[in-house]
Amino acid sequence: MNQFLNYMVPGVADGSVYALAAIGLVLTYKTSGVFNFAHGALAATGAYVFYEGYVEQGWKWPFAFLVSLLVVGVLGGLILERLATLLASAPTVTTVVATVGLLVLLQSLMTAIYGASDKKSGDFLPTNGPRVGDVTISYGEMMITGFCLGAALALFAFFGRTRMGRAMTAVVDDPNLLALQKSNPAVVRRLSWVLGSCFATISGMLLAPKLGVSVGVLVLIVIAAYGAAAVGLFENLPLTVAGAFFIGILVNYLPSQTQKTQSLFLQSMPRNVPFIVLLLVFLFVPARMLTERGVRNARRFKPPKAFSLPVTAAGLAALLGLMIAVPHVVAETDVTVYSAFVAYAIIFMSLGMLVWMSGQISLCHLGFAAIGATVSGKLMTLGFFGWLPLVGDKTVSWPVAVIIGGLVAIPFGAIVAIPAIRLAGIYVAIATFGFGILLQQAFYLAPVMFDGASLVQHPRPGEEFSVGATSKRFEPVEGTSAGLFGIDFSNEKNYYYLALSVLVVMAAIVLLVQRSRLGALLRAMADSGVALEAHGANTNVMRIIVFCLSAFMAGVGGGVLAGVTQSASGNPGGTFDYTVSLIFVAVLGFCGRRPILSPILAAFAFQVIKIYPPFDDPTMIKYRGVMFGALAIFVAVAPALNLNTLLGTRGKERALDAEGGGGGSSVRDRLDVTPVRPVTIRTVEEPVLLGSKGSGA
Amino acid sequence: MSVDLDVQNVTVRFGGIVAVNDATLYAKQGQITGLIGPNGAGKTTFFNACTGRNHPQSGTVRLGEQDLHGHRSSNRAHHGLGRTFQRMELFESLTVLENVRTGPAAFYSSYRPLGLLYSTRKETKQIKARAEEAMAHCHIAHLQNKTVGDLSTGQRRLVELARAIATPFKFLLLDEPSSGLDVAETHAFGKVLSDWVNETGFGILIVEHDMALVSEICQQIYVLDFGKIIYQGTTREALSSDLVKAAYLGEVSVA
Repeated sequence: MNQFLNYMVPGVADGSVYALAAIGLVLTYKTSGVFNFAHGALAATGAYVFYEGYVEQGWKWPFAFLVSLLVVGVLGGLILERLATLLASAPTVTTVVATVGLLVLLQSLMTAIYGASDKKSGDFLPTNGPRVGDVTISYGEMMITGFCLGAALALFAFFGRTRMGRAMTAVVDDPNLLALQKSNPAVVRRLSWVLGSCFATISGMLLAPKLGVSVGVLVLIVIAAYGAAAVGLFENLPLTVAGAFFIGILVNYLPSQTQKTQSLFLQSMPRNVPFIVLLLVFLFVPARMLTERGVRNARRFKPPKAFSLPVTAAGLAALLGLMIAVPHVVAETDVTVYSAFVAYAIIFMSLGMLVWMSGQISLCHLGFAAIGATVSGKLMTLGFFGWLPLVGDKTVSWPVAVIIGGLVAIPFGAIVAIPAIRLAGIYVAIATFGFGILLQQAFYLAPVMFDGASLVQHPRPGEEFSVGATSKRFEPVEGTSAGLFGIDFSNEKNYYYLALSVLVVMAAIVLLVQRSRLGALLRAMADSGVALEAHGANTNVMRIIVFCLSAFMAGVGGGVLAGVTQSASGNPGGTFDYTVSLIFVAVLGFCGRRPILSPILAAFAFQVIKIYPPFDDPTMIKYRGVMFGALAIFVAVAPALNLNTLLGTRGKERALDAEGGGGGSSVRDRLDVTPVRPVTIRTVEEPVLLGSKGSGA
Repeated sequence: MSVDLDVQNVTVRFGGIVAVNDATLYAKQGQITGLIGPNGAGKTTFFNACTGRNHPQSGTVRLGEQDLHGHRSSNRAHHGLGRTFQRMELFESLTVLENVRTGPAAFYSSYRPLGLLYSTRKETKQIKARAEEAMAHCHIAHLQNKTVGDLSTGQRRLVELARAIATPFKFLLLDEPSSGLDVAETHAFGKVLSDWVNETGFGILIVEHDMALVSEICQQIYVLDFGKIIYQGTTREALSSDLVKAAYLGEVSVA
């Protein structure tokens, strides 16, 4: 009984907080059709504002709680509602870029202000309470659980039984129609977002005493609420709450079982439960039960202006010439930065092909790069594949290792493609997000990858290496990697050119795909997969091909990147952290949609710009993520930006009145709703009134 | 060998709702068959069942000798069954020419194991010729370099039709193709369809609310109401049938 209570009590308490976060997430998605990837960052921001008031300023906790709720929950909710309105007719990829941009912005802002280390917010809820067996059930935990259950029940009743609740569900499908039913869609939307943001803020504040105020930890925990939301199919609140309790209890129960093993991979399972649940839902729940919310009358991307072949060729040649000249015109100490820039350009190129050419999205791209980096590093140092051609005594040469690293990433790309085959766009983004975190928290620890927290050596061609002993291998390994054309790659310039040659090959692959039938079909699939399928193309195979190709390129890019520092690390916050995948999406989001130029620009913005004034200023570097996030949001909403949308519906009304076109009538009266026009049909004898033309069967 | 569309006893349920109930339809090659019915009768669901977009609980769909049961959409297309959509599904960011070419390109992509990756010279030639012919047939050749997102509804409908015609289909299902067109455009559209059927000898099954168009181009009509086929006959018979009028207008008497 005691053992049962030992995981049941904290499990229910954790489940309550997951539930609060998940309710907020479901609420906003259900009522806006915009999945808020920044929900966790919003929770973390709430915790930081609370910490600032309660600990730093010494306010009473109820006051600090209220201030945080008002600033982050209410004000944040109102700002998010504006953002969601601007994104209402945007393609799924754009909404992902914008909300991921917001996540990056908030996370970077909190880190810049408060630093990356944990802050203690202190227990503000009572920690004492009755004892049942050996377990104390604190009044604080009881209050959290009670609040969570009460909120879930109240919301369930609200959606099912009140006019406003039904309006909140309807607003996402057709705001104009809702307006005709004497409900103001703007008010309904605002209420949804404010409620959703308040739930996120509260969950952040409640989690802070237990986990500490750390943006990384809080964001991750609230992202864990995705698992609960998935159980509720991102729509059903009671199921979401049940899912949250299930996950909370499982997370607290599993350590008692996994601690018996020596495997770091298995030991990591408890904290990965939410992401495993998330992926299982996406893999096994019938696709028809996971339909995208909201009217997707999405404006399509205007294609970038097409240049003629000679102009394109001349532009690419000029770009290549410029990149060849780089080591000779930049400071010698900066060449390493440019080598990393070239490696990042390969990874950006693989992501750009996926996102802009095929309309798919991946929020786990650095995971593919990490696989490529570790596999190629191990092949060169430990030589798992000593029997392959071009192999040295025990190791494989750099080019072979990097290519095999890319090839090993392919099956992972195929796994990620499975949700892409089954589900609509936004769920693919969520699945890849969960997969990226799972990769980092479980697979990075495995011996075949980073083996716990150890560095993977990644020597350049012809360089010496020394790999220390591990728990699985008692003897250290030392040696020299196979050389390449007798060139000295310890010279930074030579390694830069090696990386550049790989980039050229990858760019050639992208151009080849773009100009091939596959490229044409991928572009068509981005617009309408349904139509393409109806004309005979197998879009499932296409999705698998593009994910695999993209994973291969990212894997190769990871190998080249690891060669820059001659090692790779999977530590949180490092090169291959899951958050870097998010930053990549944000940065690519504001660098255009050209297959070659945009990834190179993105890599330049990500890696190089920070070494030149005024961006080399420590403050600028500190707030780099904030700028990336802000730019991603701006570019995502820019097509919809105009005075009316900025001011909101009421503002639109005012603007119309100011133009003299309003006459004081409400904006609802002036909505562009075409009255149903009876259509006369002609039979053989005479016309007969049938109904409205163009309506659906 | 005939390529008639033979649908037998198809039933489609969504949970407890029977959207199509034991529907049987036979549409011959070389003619245009109409499928009419009030909103919500199940016409688009019936189309989706024919083209593999949903999974009927029972019934068979055959195109000529080929049983299409259990085939996915792309396979049915491959066997020659093409369709257009009630809510137009165009490749919005592509030009008219690219849209029309993508139809046959998608079709040929599943012909060879590596067909998705590249097209042979012969295929490229065929695709080019088919696209040009289809655009000429639909009178949209002058729009070929325009992005479809910039076109009017009528022009977009013609692009969708041209894409279907350019693809080597043997039978077309058209879902409310004249929706959004004015009277003159509808008339021209009907002529394009009739010409195509006369020239190729292939068949069309058309869902349409515009009875002027239906009476102009259809030889046979099926009437669907509450998921059931309640009437079949020639166009003249169908449009003068009290049963059909009642299905559309309920109990309201018609002149």
